[in-house]
Amino acid sequence: MQSDTAGSWVPVALSSDLPALAVMPARIASETVALWRSASGRATASADRCPHRGMRLSHGFVRGEALSCIYHGWSYAQGGQCLKIPAHPGLTPPETIRVVTYAVAEQDGVVWAAAGAPAGEPPRLNGFAPLRSVTVDAAIGFIEAAAGVGMNADGFLSPADAPSGLCLLLSDQGAGQTLVHVLIGQDAGPSARIAASRAVEALRRRAEALSTEGAGA
Amino acid sequence: MNKIGMIDEWYPVGLFSQLDPNGRDTWLMGEPIRVAIDGEGNPLVTGGNGRVLAVCVRYGHVWASLGKPDHDLFPIPEADQPGRRLVEVGVVRVRCSPLRAVENFLDIAHFPFVHTDILGSEPHTEVQNYKVEIREEEDEVWATQVKFYQPQAAKSASGGITTEYMYRVPAPTCSVLYKTCPPRPSEWDVITLFVQPLFEDVCDVWPWMALYDDDTPMTDLIHFQQTIFLQDRSILENQIPTLLPLDPGMEIPTRADLTSVAYRRWLKRHNYTYGAQLVAQ
Amino acid sequence: MSDVKQNQSTERMTISGDLVPDAFLPWIDRHVAKLGLSRTIFSVSEEKIELDLSGPEELIDMMEMGCSLGPIEVWVEAIERHVLG
Repeated sequence: MQSDTAGSWVPVALSSDLPALAVMPARIASETVALWRSASGRATASADRCPHRGMRLSHGFVRGEALSCIYHGWSYAQGGQCLKIPAHPGLTPPETIRVVTYAVAEQDGVVWAAAGAPAGEPPRLNGFAPLRSVTVDAAIGFIEAAAGVGMNADGFLSPADAPSGLCLLLSDQGAGQTLVHVLIGQDAGPSARIAASRAVEALRRRAEALSTEGAGA
Repeated sequence: MNKIGMIDEWYPVGLFSQLDPNGRDTWLMGEPIRVAIDGEGNPLVTGGNGRVLAVCVRYGHVWASLGKPDHDLFPIPEADQPGRRLVEVGVVRVRCSPLRAVENFLDIAHFPFVHTDILGSEPHTEVQNYKVEIREEEDEVWATQVKFYQPQAAKSASGGITTEYMYRVPAPTCSVLYKTCPPRPSEWDVITLFVQPLFEDVCDVWPWMALYDDDTPMTDLIHFQQTIFLQDRSILENQIPTLLPLDPGMEIPTRADLTSVAYRRWLKRHNYTYGAQLVAQ
Repeated sequence: MSDVKQNQSTERMTISGDLVPDAFLPWIDRHVAKLGLSRTIFSVSEEKIELDLSGPEELIDMMEMGCSLGPIEVWVEAIERHVLG
């Protein structure tokens, strides 16, 4: 399990799940962030709390290259600085009014984010491509138990008795939940993709059953 | 416990028209209570150990106290004016601090964003200066000369107008809004939020209105207010921290937030801290 | 950055009440930094703090809003402001 998350890359979403102008909540270690993509396609992760009155920015909206808070419309640039306070249109907000942003890198179809200063690039997928993501109601340990194998330091796990060409990329969501990005070989055809989905569903059910039993123990 | 400052106040616990002899179980500041009607048609509210709580009936609602209030419930003279339609909107449960529910009701800068094209719209987002005072004799917070341009301010309005408002906080979890009334320009429509604090982070909100509007069907009046409130609920359930900060060290209140700042000062002065966050977090 | 016309001024802000300077002064500094204002403390006592603030009027308004509350142990009775020559 990753115990030191400062500066580690976390796979927060699949690129295909974050189209332009979308904003969604995501998790880096124990913090929630607002993950958003600007009109021009750049992905940004902002702290999920508007400095005005604490509204979650993940409920906001993206316009052009800025993220706006849904409560009073305060807008933030990709660098975090406040661009506009609609109740006071005559004011150019000082750049000291800002929201914390996190490092973001996008490659191989995965959006990675990091708290603090990451050392180097995110891990490569090495011939795998993302299929889809699923949230499992079980902590990483139960997924490892169900898969019969441990996750490596970068969060990758290849289940022991699953079809070859299936790999999982895990991200702890806290509160006994794990975000699982399902990866398959880049050249996988339709039947391999279906087999992979079925294997993941079976793994999810086993992990969630273990989690429930574990809670009752 | 931080409910001490608020124990001797009145809180809404139900609609008088919906009382039943078997009673309805709910909570008031963490204490389980039962709200029923007795053999003579009077409300009967009992606390956790069966003790009978002080009650009164006003504005269509049953009000109770866990302590001994030394004053009657606040007056709303408009409630007795002939020709007014009195509207019981019905309860909405919100997972937020009761104090946050009141603060949101006092805010207008959110109208173009949360109540888009109903109470406000871009680009008419500027909040002009208005006046706020704590009226010492009544011990209430009042905001006056509040103005905001609205595309459709009330069911009885036919187009965009600049609506004038007054806001009043007569009790820690209640707020009264007075709003320009299109059919009778010299009168105010009255819209209230009566908030029942179940716990510090859960409340039941009982909106009520006294309006001059002879045309709009009752169900439409109720639906309009419910729509507005459900839009506010999605904000209220997603603010950090959950409790209402009395120290704005992690926030940036602006002049548009003047009513909210006055409300928080008034809460602080009275030690009304059930649902409040004392240290900025 | 400063070619946009804004109402810039320098104001003396006088805060009075039960002010607990040990708690309030660091709080004031944090809030001033968040607003990007510059400040000079003119006088400090348990009942009164005077400070000079320079910047757009809307930001000085924000300072007044925040200081009306301050940390929990402080009670602010009144805030007066006047523009300095």
